[in-house]
Amino acid sequence: MTHLLRCISATSRAAFAEQTANKRAVVFQVGVMIFNDLAWVGFWLIFFRATGTVGGWDRSKIFLLQAVLTTAGGIVLGMLSNARHLGALASDGRLDEALTLPVHPLGYLLFRRVEPTNLGDTIFGVGLFAIAGNPTPMRTLVYIGSVIGAVLLLTSFLVLVGSLSFFGGRSDASELGFHTILLLSNYPLDLFGGGARLLVYTVVPAAFISTVPAQLIDNFQPRLAVAMTGAVMAFVTAAYWTFSLGLRRYASGSIWTRA
Amino acid sequence: MRLSTAFTTMRLSAIRMLANRAGMLVNSAIYVIVVSVLGGLWRVGAAATGSIVGYSAAALTWYIATSEAVTIPLNSRMIADVSEDIVSGGIAVELLRPISVVGLRVADQVGRTLPRIGVCATIGCVMSWWLVGAPPNVAALFLAVPSMLLAVALNVVAQHCFAALAFWLRHTGASWFLYQKLVFMLGGMLLPIQVLPSALRRVAMGTPFPSMAYAPARLASGHLEPSLLLIQLVWLVVLSALGVAIFALGERRLQVVGG
Repeated sequence: MTHLLRCISATSRAAFAEQTANKRAVVFQVGVMIFNDLAWVGFWLIFFRATGTVGGWDRSKIFLLQAVLTTAGGIVLGMLSNARHLGALASDGRLDEALTLPVHPLGYLLFRRVEPTNLGDTIFGVGLFAIAGNPTPMRTLVYIGSVIGAVLLLTSFLVLVGSLSFFGGRSDASELGFHTILLLSNYPLDLFGGGARLLVYTVVPAAFISTVPAQLIDNFQPRLAVAMTGAVMAFVTAAYWTFSLGLRRYASGSIWTRA
Repeated sequence: MRLSTAFTTMRLSAIRMLANRAGMLVNSAIYVIVVSVLGGLWRVGAAATGSIVGYSAAALTWYIATSEAVTIPLNSRMIADVSEDIVSGGIAVELLRPISVVGLRVADQVGRTLPRIGVCATIGCVMSWWLVGAPPNVAALFLAVPSMLLAVALNVVAQHCFAALAFWLRHTGASWFLYQKLVFMLGGMLLPIQVLPSALRRVAMGTPFPSMAYAPARLASGHLEPSLLLIQLVWLVVLSALGVAIFALGERRLQVVGG
């Protein structure tokens, strides 16, 4: 375990150093992402100005949703950037380098690539929570816990749909899964009923990445916390086993790349 | 560039796109998700207040179905791709052809987008009809068809103008995010322009962005305003001239090392 953590730490440091070599470019990209997130805040301000409170959601609650989503999304897409590229790497046969290393390939792959643009999301999310999230000690604790849960869940979901490429040979499902979960996570999903609600709490667990964390921070309910923990555990397990089983079917593309 | 060349390029690009069935499926699925969630959100909002700035729940559903149908099918990273070709010098090969580089690229992108728009618009019509009933104004809906084509052409041309800044700036990085957010807010992609605060609305109306999403969506939501088509046409002529001029200037600055 210590060996794995040491390898992951070294891989992560190298990936970070590689991507942040051009400091000015990083600052620009982070700035662009913060502007991008501000546009969403602008959208919600305008939306609630026009509609008032909708289904129990108002500005302050939607800011909590945005804070958790951008913090967690920034960590996953920024620090664990390969989570979203796993499908393409598997279907193109570009995993050879990772398989030669004396660590579990999934751990190495996840930490191998850093996307500085998305780190702007994390900075924005923390800032939004600090400014608009009414950060009492209890709420801050729930926010941190929710972000950790959302990171694990989003990473697991992306690994799971990415690993399907080992079986299908194409990365389209992975792309669709990535877009679906991020698109859905942007909205308060408990506003919807029927089949849509069932979908976002089970197959595509977008509700547990943003809606449920916002509800937990706003009004902590043990029932919701248990449901979220269960979803995280189920998806982490499913992702690990799908990747491990899929890897047995991996066919090299004879391409030596830095995955 | 002759019109026949442009049409041939568009036709070939459209055929290539039609052959990519998985890509079409992913695009259509993303469209369905966005329209379901965003349309649902506005319907919930309109149900709470009766109507929003004169738009009924039904009108908002048709609005979102149309505004998303003209934006989702576009290659979201077009600016990044064109910029990369400029910065890497890859565009130099295209300069050898006896036709306009920007003209050919625009025709190619419009051709690629048309089949996707056709599919998304059809799905959008079926979904809206099923969810909220017949279109608010059939005559206006018919006008929305040419407006959608103008919107796409205008968006592609504008993205090429934006991307051409790479001739001077070299590192345009994540600037495509900025462009996307301008279409998103000022273009009325997520919300009708009338919802914006008055100062922002005035700014938006002075830019070409509303012609890229708001114009066809406004028509499809039952507002018979043919002047919107004229405004789109004027912006298309202005931005096309600008695009040709910027590329002509940029091509003189292009420096290619080796290759």
